[in-house]
Amino acid sequence: METRSFNFLFKESIYPMAVVDNQMRFLNHSKLWLKDLDIADPDIIGKSFYDVVPNVTQEIKNIHQFCLEHKTKLNKNQKIIQPDGRVQWLNWQIKGWNNKENNQSGLLIVAEDITTDKKNEKLLLNIQNIANIGGWEFDFISNKAFLSDTLKQLHGLPLDYEINLEKGLNFYKEGEHRRRITQVVNEAMVNGTPWDIEIVIVTTNGDERWVRSIGECEIVANKCIRIYGTLQDIDQKKRIEIHNKEISERLTMATTDATNLGIWEYNIPDAHLVWDDNLYRIYGVAKDNFSETIDAWEAIIHPEDKLRCHNVLERAISEDKKYSLQFKIFWPNGEIRHIRTEFTTSRYQKGKPIRLIGAAWDNTESKVAEQKLKDLLEITNGQNESLLNFAHIVSHNLRSHSSNLSMLTSFLNTEENEHEKKNLIKMLTDASISLNDTVTHLSEVVHVKTNSVEKMKKIKLRQAVKNVENNISALLKEKEAVCNIDIDKSLFIQAVPAYLDSIFLNLFTNSLKYCSPKRTPIINVAAKQNNNKVSITFSDNGQGIDLDKHGKKIFGMYKTFHRHKDSKGIGLFITKNQIEAMKGSIEVESVVDKGTTFTLTLRRNI
Amino acid sequence: MSTCIIDDDPIFVYGAKRIMKEMEFCDEILVFNNGQEAIDGLLNITARGEKLPSVIFLDLNMPVMDGWEFLEDFVKIPNHNQDNVVVYIISSSVDPRDVERVNEYKIVHNYILKPITHQDLRNVLEELPNDPSSI
Repeated sequence: METRSFNFLFKESIYPMAVVDNQMRFLNHSKLWLKDLDIADPDIIGKSFYDVVPNVTQEIKNIHQFCLEHKTKLNKNQKIIQPDGRVQWLNWQIKGWNNKENNQSGLLIVAEDITTDKKNEKLLLNIQNIANIGGWEFDFISNKAFLSDTLKQLHGLPLDYEINLEKGLNFYKEGEHRRRITQVVNEAMVNGTPWDIEIVIVTTNGDERWVRSIGECEIVANKCIRIYGTLQDIDQKKRIEIHNKEISERLTMATTDATNLGIWEYNIPDAHLVWDDNLYRIYGVAKDNFSETIDAWEAIIHPEDKLRCHNVLERAISEDKKYSLQFKIFWPNGEIRHIRTEFTTSRYQKGKPIRLIGAAWDNTESKVAEQKLKDLLEITNGQNESLLNFAHIVSHNLRSHSSNLSMLTSFLNTEENEHEKKNLIKMLTDASISLNDTVTHLSEVVHVKTNSVEKMKKIKLRQAVKNVENNISALLKEKEAVCNIDIDKSLFIQAVPAYLDSIFLNLFTNSLKYCSPKRTPIINVAAKQNNNKVSITFSDNGQGIDLDKHGKKIFGMYKTFHRHKDSKGIGLFITKNQIEAMKGSIEVESVVDKGTTFTLTLRRNI
Repeated sequence: MSTCIIDDDPIFVYGAKRIMKEMEFCDEILVFNNGQEAIDGLLNITARGEKLPSVIFLDLNMPVMDGWEFLEDFVKIPNHNQDNVVVYIISSSVDPRDVERVNEYKIVHNYILKPITHQDLRNVLEELPNDPSSI
């Protein structure tokens, strides 16, 4: 009964196993034995093992012999190629037995099919090799440590190297890295917190390598019994990453801190505009308020520049070139800023660019400085021009008299006729008086050209004009002229009092001198304020001047346009110089036989 | 031959006439006080069918119509014997812009700086065309 039930259990065993005698003849076997080893013959009892299982290697046969002799137990894996080409892995577990009762001996053989395990193991190994991942383990109960071959290679250790936890931690780079790994391992052992960090090890050759260390603890009854994990060689990737980070940091530093450069990118198919943080600062736009479109960008551009910017961008999208744009924008506080951007197209799809990428910066300061410089240059050029003109005027006017004087004296030297001598002397006297007048005029002009601004005072304009009108009241009466003065009593200007008198005196007398004999002379003086300036119009209904002919010369020295005995051509020249010395300007409009209007612009004083 | 002086400065006109007489520069001297008077006077001459003066001494700085404006109008006078008229600018201006501008006018022969001298007039006589019929 005992034997029969044992026999049944043996047959039905979940293991493919068999019992052979010392001649390697089958005494018994489980059903799985036939199935797993693909044995077609159902009756193998008494038959030779090597006939039934022909693929057995010599090594296995030797093990059989060894176990029979020593009654011992051995394991061995064997790879078998089946007739249909299928690979099968078997794990032979062989145990010698000896029955002293009936003096029998033999082997118990289990042939476990481990093909699936083997495959998985192989796969894992491949993965480890490809990904440079290796496993490790410290078992605190058995006090054993394990380091996979991959890891030994990674550390540069011989394959028979024996490891322990302390040695393991010492593979990490001294300082920051070793402190870090010690800390996470401690944390894991105390709290069971797993870790996943990127860290540097030092190989036995002294090379530093970046690895990714993943590990965790097995805790039983609040005690850590085992820690295990993997190390992956990520050196190349990490170094590239660090290099990229350095470049990116350098770029950020260079663009943001050093040059205040903003970067933008426009994705053409998606019509999507991306700005970096710096560009938002440059444009003075809040990130939340920006819809990342070209329209939103154009919305902050100054109206004068909007169309040009739009057109250049359109052209850039259709062409393949490097572009630059200079334009003005409005900051939210209304301030105008000058922006310059340079950009280029990139990435092509079917020959069309799909991206614009550019850099932009604020060059307001240099633009403003440039404008100041231009203005200054203009002023300097103007002053040079006027100095040169003045030098020529002086030399011409003085020379015309001196040449007359020298001519007359040479005649006088040879003249014998007394009457003619007297005539020459009279002419000499006239010439010297003219010379004296000219010198007086010139010194007056020089005086006007220097130190005028310091003498400027706050003057009530209406009062000043009225005073001049009173001074020439006799002349006005003689010409039966009408004066209309329409100036607000509260209007003050900044001017040199003597110049202002001289200017209005000159304008009044000019109007009267060149009045039309056909009509009553009418003079209108009006003034209006315009921000920090006052513009004064002085108009008459006199003979007028043909400005097409004489416009260029009207404010020139010794230029006269009328056949009038009092014309000297000095008045308007000095008037213009006096007005310009007070930082003002004078313009003229005139129609022949209708009248003349002078418009004076002077500084307002509040 | 006849000569024309266009200048508003009576002293210069006196001196020029005196020198011309001394060296018997010409038979007849016409004087105008500014460009406009000269244009009017010269138009009268052509209207009467008479010949224009052979030499014109022209001042630049004059009231009403200056020397430059005179030149613009003068070349427009119809039927004048322009080829036989030589114009000399005579001015006290040493402004190089004036001297340069003279080159723009084909009719202007030379630029004489005041005061005018006997030598200046002798040079003018030497430069005159030798065809006696035109004089």
